[in-house]
Amino acid sequence: MTDPVVTIRFDGSGRVYQPGETLSGEYRLASVHIGAVKAVEVSVLWYTEGKGDEDLAVHEFWRLDTEQGDWIDPTRPGRFSTILPRSPLSYDGLIMRLRWCVRVRAFLDRGKEVVGQKVFQLSNVPAVKVSAP
Amino acid sequence: MARSFRYYEKKRGNRSTGSSKLGSAGEALFFAIFLLIGCGVLAVLFTTLVVPEWRVNHEFVEHTCVVLDKRIGESHSDEGTRYRPEIKIRYQIDGQTYVRWTYDISMSYSSGRSDKQAILSQFTVDEKNPKEYRCWYDPADPSVAVLVRGYTWWIWLVFIVPVSFIVISGGGFVYSVLHWGKSAERCAAMTRRDLFNTNNEPQRKFPNIPDCADITNSPGTRLKFRLPIASSPAWILFGVLMACLLWNGIVSVFVVFAVGGYLKGNPDWFLTLFIIPFVLVGIGLIAFFIRQLLVTTGIGPTLVEISDHPLYPRDRCRLFVTQSGQLMMNSIQVLLVCEEEATYRQGTNTRTETRDVYRQEILRREAFEVHRGLPFEAECELGIPAGAMHSFKADHNEINWKVVVKGDVAGWPDYKRSFPVIIQPANRLLGH
Repeated sequence: MTDPVVTIRFDGSGRVYQPGETLSGEYRLASVHIGAVKAVEVSVLWYTEGKGDEDLAVHEFWRLDTEQGDWIDPTRPGRFSTILPRSPLSYDGLIMRLRWCVRVRAFLDRGKEVVGQKVFQLSNVPAVKVSAP
Repeated sequence: MARSFRYYEKKRGNRSTGSSKLGSAGEALFFAIFLLIGCGVLAVLFTTLVVPEWRVNHEFVEHTCVVLDKRIGESHSDEGTRYRPEIKIRYQIDGQTYVRWTYDISMSYSSGRSDKQAILSQFTVDEKNPKEYRCWYDPADPSVAVLVRGYTWWIWLVFIVPVSFIVISGGGFVYSVLHWGKSAERCAAMTRRDLFNTNNEPQRKFPNIPDCADITNSPGTRLKFRLPIASSPAWILFGVLMACLLWNGIVSVFVVFAVGGYLKGNPDWFLTLFIIPFVLVGIGLIAFFIRQLLVTTGIGPTLVEISDHPLYPRDRCRLFVTQSGQLMMNSIQVLLVCEEEATYRQGTNTRTETRDVYRQEILRREAFEVHRGLPFEAECELGIPAGAMHSFKADHNEINWKVVVKGDVAGWPDYKRSFPVIIQPANRLLGH
């Protein structure tokens, strides 16, 4: 039996979005049978990478929870849509990077979790180039 | 590939292995234990210190007694001898005679013998013609009586310790329970809810971009705004002075011991060798303080004014720079700098690393004189690059833009003064 997988797809073809633009798409849970999913969390968030400790902030967050009466059918794709904020923009610096992504976390029975994530770019700030000293 | 364990280096960052749920449970248990200890100690202190005093003042019954004897009670410990007044009284309740040593309800020892002696001198022991004094007895247990009532203020200080335990561990416990078994995203979403309305309007409009209010609240004389300096030279000087005094104050104690040994003809070579590096650091701090003192007092204030703020990529604005003092300048340089700042934990230490990612010279003047009352003045154009990243501030990572003025003064130490500016993102859809 294959392991559960989360796949995320954005509407349209591009991965570069502008502030104020709508980001929408869908996610799918594969290799998961009906009733095995206890909760699903969908987040549109940014996080930092690099030298410093990670900062993370959620722009939009949805949670579906069977214990709260939500119906979760893993055979059907789930949709998400949000208007992107003005900041912070995606950034690729020397000692820090800022990434935007859609992250889907599914809580399965017996305490298992499966996470899928798809990175997108908010605006197009050019990457910092290392110049010769 | 397995990595070898590094004995010589602290673990980098906020990383952990093992179950996060187990970690949260351990954290909650840790705080719960300290919360219970705090509550227990608070309850014990309350019942042993506050309640008896309150009962003496509100429930004890006034009566009369005679004094049979008096003495100073002593308690010996490593900290020395402590004292308390002890007065032997006799009183009758419902035909029954009670005799006991007493004074106040706490009967606690404290330092200072003379003030206890002064208390005793207020009471006269006269077996033939005993004098009557007021006393207060406990109606629930008449064998308990005191000669004075009132409240002692210092017992409230004792509560600082258990209350600190309760506040810190209670906060930690609530935090652990609220975040129990929740994903990082859900915790972040909970934090985002702004329960106390701490996020102001600019923060909601441009999340994680520092507020401009501090920069635009001072009007300029030539241009629209006067930029605030990043850190005042006077505060830097004060900080260096404090560091210098603290370090050299501690080191001087050891130096006195070492020099004393030499003067007595009994030099301590180990101590001498041990303190040499500390003395050198102290001398370095003194030199740095003198340098800062020269820069602060000898070089006059640097002022920077800007025609527009906040700034956006591709923006062009005017910049006005003045430098006061009585100086022979080799050069003055005005730069626009973008700096990344990353803070990370390494074991128990918190470190901050910065890296310049953009540096543009806006103005440079060489070989000129600044006269007292006639400051150097220059106006120039500041251009923000098209692909500039906006200013950014999070808990551990920052992107800071600033105007930097660097001065090279003949016969004086070089100086550098920074003036932060905020760059907001350009946005085609939102009108910039």
